Amino acid sequence: MNSANMKTNSQKITKKDLFRANWRWLWSSQICWNYERMMSTGYLYTMLPTIQKLYPEKEDRVAMMKLHNQFFNTNAYVGGFIVGMDMAIEEKEGRKAEEAIAGLKAGLMGSFAGVGDTIFGVILPTIFGSIASYMGLKGNPIGAIIWLIANFVVLFLRFALLPMGYSQGEKLIYAAGNKLNRLTDAAILLGVTVVGALIPTVVNANVPLVFKTGKVVLKAQSILDQIMPSLVPVLLVAVCYWLLGKKKMTSTKLIITVLIAGIILGGFGIIGK
Amino acid sequence: MAITWWQILLLTALAFWMIIDQLTVAILCNYPLLIGLVAGLIMGDIKTGLVVGATLQLMVLGVGTYGGASMPDFMTGAIVGTAYAVMSNKGVSFAIGLAVPVGLLMVQLDVLARFTNTFFLHRVDKMIEEDNEKGVAHNIIYGMFPWGLSRALPVLLMLLVGKNTIQVVVNSMPQWLTNGLSAAGGILPVVGIAILLRFLPTKRFIAYLLIGFFLAAYIKVPMLGVAIIGAAMAIIYYKQSETKEATTTQTEGGHENELGEYED
Repeated sequence: MNSANMKTNSQKITKKDLFRANWRWLWSSQICWNYERMMSTGYLYTMLPTIQKLYPEKEDRVAMMKLHNQFFNTNAYVGGFIVGMDMAIEEKEGRKAEEAIAGLKAGLMGSFAGVGDTIFGVILPTIFGSIASYMGLKGNPIGAIIWLIANFVVLFLRFALLPMGYSQGEKLIYAAGNKLNRLTDAAILLGVTVVGALIPTVVNANVPLVFKTGKVVLKAQSILDQIMPSLVPVLLVAVCYWLLGKKKMTSTKLIITVLIAGIILGGFGIIGK
Repeated sequence: MAITWWQILLLTALAFWMIIDQLTVAILCNYPLLIGLVAGLIMGDIKTGLVVGATLQLMVLGVGTYGGASMPDFMTGAIVGTAYAVMSNKGVSFAIGLAVPVGLLMVQLDVLARFTNTFFLHRVDKMIEEDNEKGVAHNIIYGMFPWGLSRALPVLLMLLVGKNTIQVVVNSMPQWLTNGLSAAGGILPVVGIAILLRFLPTKRFIAYLLIGFFLAAYIKVPMLGVAIIGAAMAIIYYKQSETKEATTTQTEGGHENELGEYED
């Protein structure tokens, strides 16, 4: 009796529903982002059709809408997976699973944010942004076009996550943990390599000072070049890295500091392009 | 070159779209380089847009908007900077000198947009009590207006005001300031690189930082080439960590072999 019930229940959500949720998650997850509950509204908007389908009673609907409008914040690229898992549970258990769902959302959003932000928020923009900037500084748009294409590919991949979460969420969560860590590490390795190459290529800082003592003319830059190519950029990065370790230093303050320092040093002719 | 009304309109629309894009499909990704490219396209000078965008891009490489933190809005900076660089014919360093302060000021409006959406959140709360699903949906979607307008309105204002006053400002700029801005534009990418190195577990991967630096500084490998070598090393790393894992489980299995006589 019970199992028969479950079976009819689990046919409630169709492929079309999954697609609809996916589409909604894409467009709404952060559209009403706010300081109080961050992505709660986006999650609620994604779940609205499912809620209307699964809960014929007004009381249940109101309760579930309230549940899904609670604080939620994760990475929008990968958050669809959590929605998919949630849909599978609600389809099976209905409102009984209220607490389990709240736990699932709160438990997964942090680790999903960690992986998603690192890969999609930092590593991919670093790699493609570095290549595109390197070419872009020379007026070559190829790198930017490669980046655009990569973004379309990522968009396509994102769409697979919600159905995957729905059909085999729990199984994958347990199996993928370690693999995901290794993949993130490998991506970071690639990112760090590219950043290493960025320092000498995109930072433009020469020392145009010339010293004259008698007949001897000393060009500061050629002395520096003999020590190491791109010595000034390396030192500048090191100073900024060190400054960022200071307690009250923020990235915004650092930008202002470097801007002012650059104007002063450039104005006096100590550093030039 | 003067700016036409349809260019102002398109740039304003771009400003509205770029933040929505970042929140949703992430094609332009709300990153200055791609925004600069589009702005350059609108202004009929792709190269300027690209160079302005690329310079700004390097400043925010490691800056994320995670957990609700605001980042300097160099996307708006890229639009305004590109437009003004083309209008004034003053070149990229002038655009950067303009884009950086604009981007830093714009952070306040990002904060305002994120704050304003709380208003819609509370309306959603009320609609839920009334079981009004349509009202819930509408109020969530309204969230896009604080986001979009927080970028579009300042861009529109700056383009309208700038049209007449820009030449005055440009003409009164002393030479030392022009030199200074040019130098600042050259070294500002170090900020983005330093932030990125702070964010990543750099100490663990310092060897690869050195390899990347060596390839570019000494043997002048272009960036795409460095990325290929980086990808190769990443693959090797991934495979080796897999075998490491396998050997640890195998040794565990070996113990079981002795005790339980399972086949290996």
